[in-house]
Amino acid sequence: MTATSKAAIFATTFTISYAVIYAICTELNLPLVTYHPVVGEVDFWWKPARTGPAMYWYGWMLTALIGASAVALIGTIAPENWIQRAILFGCLAALAYAIVYTLALFVYERATIELEPLRSRWLSLTVAVVVAAVLSWFVPAQWNERLWPAWAWIVPLGALAVLGYYLTPYFTR
Amino acid sequence: MVFWTTLLIIHGLLAVALLGAITHQAVAVWFPLRSSSRSFVARFRAVPSTSYVWAIIVLYAATFVLGAWIYTQYRFTSRLALEQLRFFKTVGIFELKEHIATIGLIVLPAYWAFWRQPLSTDYAAARRQVTLFLAAVVWANFLIGHVVNNARGFGS
Repeated sequence: MTATSKAAIFATTFTISYAVIYAICTELNLPLVTYHPVVGEVDFWWKPARTGPAMYWYGWMLTALIGASAVALIGTIAPENWIQRAILFGCLAALAYAIVYTLALFVYERATIELEPLRSRWLSLTVAVVVAAVLSWFVPAQWNERLWPAWAWIVPLGALAVLGYYLTPYFTR
Repeated sequence: MVFWTTLLIIHGLLAVALLGAITHQAVAVWFPLRSSSRSFVARFRAVPSTSYVWAIIVLYAATFVLGAWIYTQYRFTSRLALEQLRFFKTVGIFELKEHIATIGLIVLPAYWAFWRQPLSTDYAAARRQVTLFLAAVVWANFLIGHVVNNARGFGS
Protein backbone atom coordinates (compact mmCIF):
# COMPACT_ATOMS: atom_id res chain seq x y z
CA MET A 1 0.00 0.00 0.00
CA THR A 2 1.37 3.39 -0.94
CA ALA A 3 -0.04 6.84 -0.38
CA THR A 4 -2.12 7.96 -3.33
CA SER A 5 -0.93 11.56 -3.46
CA LYS A 6 1.67 13.98 -2.20
CA ALA A 7 -1.04 15.64 -0.11
CA ALA A 8 -1.69 12.39 1.74
CA ILE A 9 2.02 11.86 2.33
CA PHE A 10 2.42 15.44 3.56
CA ALA A 11 -0.61 15.20 5.86
CA THR A 12 0.36 11.85 7.37
CA THR A 13 4.02 12.77 7.83
CA PHE A 14 2.99 16.11 9.33
CA THR A 15 0.70 14.45 11.89
CA ILE A 16 3.31 11.90 12.91
CA SER A 17 6.25 14.31 13.12
CA TYR A 18 4.21 17.01 14.89
CA ALA A 19 3.27 14.58 17.66
CA VAL A 20 6.92 13.67 18.23
CA ILE A 21 8.28 17.22 18.02
CA TYR A 22 5.51 18.59 20.24
CA ALA A 23 6.27 16.02 22.95
CA ILE A 24 9.97 16.92 22.75
CA CYS A 25 9.26 20.68 22.84
CA THR A 26 7.03 20.22 25.87
CA GLU A 27 9.52 18.16 27.82
CA LEU A 28 12.58 20.24 26.91
CA ASN A 29 10.57 23.47 27.14
CA LEU A 30 11.30 24.86 23.68
CA PRO A 31 8.59 27.43 22.96
CA LEU A 32 8.98 29.67 19.93
CA VAL A 33 7.16 32.39 21.90
CA THR A 34 6.18 33.04 25.50
CA TYR A 35 2.82 34.65 26.22
CA HIS A 36 2.22 36.70 29.35
CA PRO A 37 -1.59 36.66 29.73
CA VAL A 38 -1.86 39.28 32.51
CA VAL A 39 -0.15 42.00 30.47
CA GLY A 40 -1.06 40.52 27.07
CA GLU A 41 2.53 40.57 25.80
CA VAL A 42 4.40 38.08 23.67
CA ASP A 43 8.14 37.42 23.88
CA PHE A 44 10.23 35.53 21.39
CA TRP A 45 11.57 32.12 22.56
CA TRP A 46 11.51 31.14 26.25
CA LYS A 47 11.18 33.91 28.84
CA PRO A 48 10.51 33.61 32.57
CA ALA A 49 7.20 34.69 34.10
CA ARG A 50 6.77 38.42 34.77
CA THR A 51 3.69 40.15 36.18
CA GLY A 52 1.74 36.94 36.46
CA PRO A 53 2.28 33.50 34.95
CA ALA A 54 3.89 32.79 31.58
CA MET A 55 2.25 30.53 28.99
CA TYR A 56 4.45 28.31 26.82
CA TRP A 57 1.78 26.10 25.22
CA TYR A 58 1.30 28.37 22.20
CA GLY A 59 5.06 28.51 21.76
CA TRP A 60 5.44 24.72 21.88
CA MET A 61 2.76 24.40 19.21
CA LEU A 62 4.48 26.95 16.98
CA THR A 63 7.90 25.30 17.35
CA ALA A 64 6.34 21.93 16.51
CA LEU A 65 4.46 23.49 13.59
CA ILE A 66 7.70 24.72 12.01
CA GLY A 67 9.53 21.44 12.65
CA ALA A 68 6.68 19.23 11.43
CA SER A 69 6.14 21.34 8.30
CA ALA A 70 9.82 20.98 7.43
CA VAL A 71 9.74 17.21 8.00
CA ALA A 72 6.51 16.84 6.02
CA LEU A 73 8.02 18.81 3.11
CA ILE A 74 11.03 16.52 3.11
CA GLY A 75 8.58 13.60 3.24
CA THR A 76 6.97 14.69 0.00
CA ILE A 77 10.35 14.87 -1.74
CA ALA A 78 11.97 11.70 -0.40
CA PRO A 79 11.00 8.25 -1.70
CA GLU A 80 7.94 6.96 0.15
CA ASN A 81 9.57 3.71 1.29
CA TRP A 82 12.35 5.75 2.94
CA ILE A 83 9.79 7.73 4.91
CA GLN A 84 7.99 4.57 5.93
CA ARG A 85 11.22 2.98 7.07
CA ALA A 86 12.35 6.13 8.90
CA ILE A 87 9.06 6.30 10.82
CA LEU A 88 9.27 2.61 11.72
CA PHE A 89 12.85 3.14 12.88
CA GLY A 90 11.85 6.12 15.03
CA CYS A 91 8.95 4.26 16.64
CA LEU A 92 11.02 1.17 17.34
CA ALA A 93 13.82 3.32 18.77
CA ALA A 94 11.39 5.10 21.12
CA LEU A 95 9.86 1.80 22.25
CA ALA A 96 13.26 0.14 22.62
CA TYR A 97 14.56 3.11 24.63
CA ALA A 98 11.63 2.92 27.04
CA ILE A 99 12.15 -0.83 27.56
CA VAL A 100 15.98 -0.74 27.75
CA TYR A 101 16.11 2.23 30.12
CA THR A 102 13.45 0.73 32.40
CA LEU A 103 15.32 -2.59 32.46
CA ALA A 104 18.63 -0.82 33.10
CA LEU A 105 17.19 1.06 36.09
CA PHE A 106 15.57 -2.13 37.36
CA VAL A 107 18.91 -3.98 37.25
CA TYR A 108 20.77 -0.99 38.74
CA GLU A 109 18.46 -0.81 41.75
CA ARG A 110 18.72 -4.54 42.48
CA ALA A 111 22.40 -5.12 41.72
CA THR A 112 24.69 -5.94 44.64
CA ILE A 113 27.60 -4.16 42.96
CA GLU A 114 27.80 -0.57 41.69
CA LEU A 115 26.72 -0.42 38.02
CA GLU A 116 26.72 3.33 37.50
CA PRO A 117 26.80 3.18 33.64
CA LEU A 118 23.33 1.62 33.69
CA ARG A 119 21.92 4.96 34.84
CA SER A 120 23.20 6.69 31.71
CA ARG A 121 20.43 7.67 29.30
CA TRP A 122 23.00 7.77 26.49
CA LEU A 123 23.86 4.11 26.95
CA SER A 124 20.18 3.10 26.78
CA LEU A 125 19.66 5.39 23.79
CA THR A 126 22.61 3.86 21.93
CA VAL A 127 21.34 0.33 22.59
CA ALA A 128 17.83 1.38 21.50
CA VAL A 129 19.09 2.91 18.26
CA VAL A 130 21.07 -0.23 17.41
CA VAL A 131 18.10 -2.50 18.19
CA ALA A 132 15.75 -0.29 16.16
CA ALA A 133 18.18 -0.17 13.22
CA VAL A 134 18.50 -3.95 13.14
CA LEU A 135 14.76 -4.58 13.49
CA SER A 136 13.71 -1.97 10.94
CA TRP A 137 16.27 -3.34 8.48
CA PHE A 138 14.70 -6.81 8.62
CA VAL A 139 11.04 -5.77 8.61
CA PRO A 140 9.59 -6.64 5.17
CA ALA A 141 8.60 -3.71 2.96
CA GLN A 142 5.00 -5.00 2.80
CA TRP A 143 4.65 -4.71 6.57
CA ASN A 144 5.93 -1.15 6.39
CA GLU A 145 3.46 -0.26 3.67
CA ARG A 146 0.58 -1.82 5.56
CA LEU A 147 1.50 -0.14 8.84
CA TRP A 148 2.34 3.29 7.41
CA PRO A 149 -1.06 5.06 7.63
CA ALA A 150 -1.73 3.59 11.08
CA TRP A 151 1.23 5.51 12.50
CA ALA A 152 -1.01 8.60 12.14
CA TRP A 153 -2.81 7.56 15.32
CA ILE A 154 -0.27 5.24 16.98
CA VAL A 155 2.44 7.92 17.22
CA PRO A 156 0.09 10.63 18.59
CA LEU A 157 -1.21 8.09 21.11
CA GLY A 158 2.37 7.32 22.14
CA ALA A 159 3.11 11.05 22.43
CA LEU A 160 0.05 11.44 24.66
CA ALA A 161 1.25 8.58 26.86
CA VAL A 162 4.62 10.30 27.30
CA LEU A 163 3.01 13.69 27.96
CA GLY A 164 0.60 12.09 30.44
CA TYR A 165 3.47 10.34 32.22
CA TYR A 166 5.26 13.65 32.76
CA LEU A 167 2.12 15.07 34.36
CA THR A 168 2.03 12.39 37.09
CA PRO A 169 3.41 14.77 39.77
CA TYR A 170 0.06 16.60 39.65
CA PHE A 171 -1.69 13.38 40.64
CA THR A 172 0.74 12.15 43.29
CA ARG A 173 1.06 15.29 45.43
CA MET B 1 -16.48 38.41 33.03
CA VAL B 2 -19.64 38.24 30.92
CA PHE B 3 -17.47 38.18 27.80
CA TRP B 4 -15.43 35.17 28.94
CA THR B 5 -18.49 33.34 30.22
CA THR B 6 -20.16 33.86 26.84
CA LEU B 7 -17.08 32.50 25.08
CA LEU B 8 -17.04 29.52 27.43
CA ILE B 9 -20.68 28.75 26.68
CA ILE B 10 -20.09 29.00 22.91
CA HIS B 11 -17.02 26.78 23.33
CA GLY B 12 -19.17 24.24 25.18
CA LEU B 13 -21.94 24.36 22.56
CA LEU B 14 -19.46 23.83 19.73
CA ALA B 15 -17.98 20.92 21.69
CA VAL B 16 -21.44 19.35 22.01
CA ALA B 17 -21.97 19.65 18.24
CA LEU B 18 -18.53 18.19 17.60
CA LEU B 19 -19.17 15.36 20.03
CA GLY B 20 -22.39 14.47 18.25
CA ALA B 21 -20.82 14.60 14.79
CA ILE B 22 -17.72 12.55 15.61
CA THR B 23 -19.73 9.97 17.60
CA HIS B 24 -22.17 9.56 14.71
CA GLN B 25 -19.33 9.12 12.25
CA ALA B 26 -17.33 6.73 14.43
CA VAL B 27 -20.36 4.52 15.06
CA ALA B 28 -21.33 4.59 11.38
CA VAL B 29 -17.85 3.64 10.24
CA TRP B 30 -17.26 0.94 12.88
CA PHE B 31 -20.75 -0.55 12.94
CA PRO B 32 -22.24 0.13 9.50
CA LEU B 33 -25.88 -0.82 9.08
CA ARG B 34 -26.34 -4.01 7.08
CA SER B 35 -30.07 -4.54 7.49
CA SER B 36 -32.98 -2.17 7.01
CA SER B 37 -34.03 -1.82 10.65
CA ARG B 38 -35.82 1.37 11.62
CA SER B 39 -34.87 1.43 15.30
CA PHE B 40 -33.20 4.47 16.88
CA VAL B 41 -29.83 2.68 17.11
CA ALA B 42 -30.07 1.57 13.48
CA ARG B 43 -30.79 5.10 12.33
CA PHE B 44 -27.89 6.36 14.46
CA ARG B 45 -25.59 3.91 12.62
CA ALA B 46 -27.06 4.62 9.21
CA VAL B 47 -25.69 8.14 8.71
CA PRO B 48 -23.51 8.78 5.63
CA SER B 49 -20.15 9.10 7.39
CA THR B 50 -18.38 10.96 4.58
CA SER B 51 -20.76 13.91 4.92
CA TYR B 52 -19.46 14.60 8.44
CA VAL B 53 -15.80 15.10 7.54
CA TRP B 54 -15.70 18.84 6.90
CA ALA B 55 -18.19 19.56 9.69
CA ILE B 56 -15.91 17.73 12.11
CA ILE B 57 -12.77 19.50 10.89
CA VAL B 58 -14.40 22.95 11.07
CA LEU B 59 -16.05 22.27 14.45
CA TYR B 60 -12.82 20.92 15.92
CA ALA B 61 -10.81 23.91 14.69
CA ALA B 62 -13.41 26.39 15.94
CA THR B 63 -13.71 24.68 19.34
CA PHE B 64 -9.93 24.56 19.63
CA VAL B 65 -9.44 28.24 18.77
CA LEU B 66 -12.08 29.32 21.29
CA GLY B 67 -10.62 27.01 23.94
CA ALA B 68 -7.11 28.36 23.30
CA TRP B 69 -8.45 31.90 23.69
CA ILE B 70 -10.33 31.17 26.92
CA TYR B 71 -7.21 29.43 28.22
CA THR B 72 -5.46 32.80 28.53
CA GLN B 73 -8.09 33.91 31.04
CA TYR B 74 -8.15 30.53 32.83
CA ARG B 75 -4.37 30.68 33.33
CA PHE B 76 -4.36 33.65 35.68
CA THR B 77 -7.84 33.42 37.19
CA SER B 78 -9.30 29.95 37.65
CA ARG B 79 -6.00 28.11 37.69
CA LEU B 80 -4.49 30.30 40.40
CA ALA B 81 -7.59 29.70 42.51
CA LEU B 82 -7.37 25.95 41.90
CA GLU B 83 -3.71 25.95 42.96
CA GLN B 84 -4.50 27.95 46.09
CA LEU B 85 -7.23 25.45 46.91
CA ARG B 86 -4.66 22.67 46.27
CA PHE B 87 -6.81 21.10 43.55
CA PHE B 88 -3.69 19.71 41.88
CA LYS B 89 -5.47 16.80 40.22
CA THR B 90 -7.87 19.22 38.57
CA VAL B 91 -4.98 21.39 37.39
CA GLY B 92 -3.13 18.30 36.16
CA ILE B 93 -6.07 16.95 34.24
CA PHE B 94 -6.52 20.33 32.57
CA GLU B 95 -2.84 20.26 31.58
CA LEU B 96 -3.58 16.90 30.00
CA LYS B 97 -6.57 18.42 28.21
CA GLU B 98 -4.36 21.00 26.50
CA HIS B 99 -2.09 18.22 25.21
CA ILE B 100 -5.02 16.05 24.12
CA ALA B 101 -6.54 19.02 22.29
CA THR B 102 -3.26 19.69 20.46
CA ILE B 103 -2.82 16.04 19.52
CA GLY B 104 -6.41 15.94 18.23
CA LEU B 105 -5.81 19.06 16.17
CA ILE B 106 -2.71 17.67 14.49
CA VAL B 107 -4.44 14.36 13.69
CA LEU B 108 -6.89 16.36 11.52
CA PRO B 109 -4.57 16.55 8.46
CA ALA B 110 -4.24 12.74 8.38
CA TYR B 111 -7.96 12.38 9.10
CA TRP B 112 -8.70 14.66 6.14
CA ALA B 113 -6.27 12.76 3.90
CA PHE B 114 -7.84 9.38 4.73
CA TRP B 115 -11.38 10.68 4.15
CA ARG B 116 -10.62 12.43 0.87
CA GLN B 117 -12.98 11.67 -2.00
CA PRO B 118 -12.91 9.27 -3.75
CA LEU B 119 -12.36 7.12 -0.66
CA SER B 120 -9.24 5.01 -1.07
CA THR B 121 -9.55 1.33 -0.13
CA ASP B 122 -5.87 1.49 0.88
CA TYR B 123 -6.86 3.75 3.76
CA ALA B 124 -10.01 1.91 4.84
CA ALA B 125 -8.49 0.54 8.07
CA ALA B 126 -6.61 3.76 8.87
CA ARG B 127 -9.76 5.77 8.23
CA ARG B 128 -11.67 3.79 10.85
CA GLN B 129 -8.81 3.86 13.35
CA VAL B 130 -8.11 7.59 13.06
CA THR B 131 -11.83 8.37 13.33
CA LEU B 132 -12.06 6.30 16.50
CA PHE B 133 -8.95 7.98 17.88
CA LEU B 134 -10.38 11.41 17.16
CA ALA B 135 -13.67 10.41 18.79
CA ALA B 136 -11.78 9.30 21.91
CA VAL B 137 -9.90 12.62 21.93
CA VAL B 138 -13.11 14.65 21.67
CA TRP B 139 -14.86 12.60 24.37
CA ALA B 140 -11.87 12.85 26.72
CA ASN B 141 -11.60 16.60 26.30
CA PHE B 142 -15.33 17.10 26.67
CA LEU B 143 -15.42 15.17 29.94
CA ILE B 144 -12.27 16.84 31.30
CA GLY B 145 -13.62 20.26 30.42
CA HIS B 146 -16.83 19.40 32.21
CA VAL B 147 -15.01 18.25 35.34
CA VAL B 148 -12.77 21.34 35.44
CA ASN B 149 -15.71 23.62 34.89
CA ASN B 150 -17.44 21.98 37.84
CA ALA B 151 -14.40 22.69 40.01
CA ARG B 152 -13.95 26.35 39.15
CA GLY B 153 -15.96 27.46 36.16
CA PHE B 154 -19.19 29.12 35.25
CA GLY B 155 -20.61 31.23 38.04
CA SER B 156 -17.83 30.49 40.56
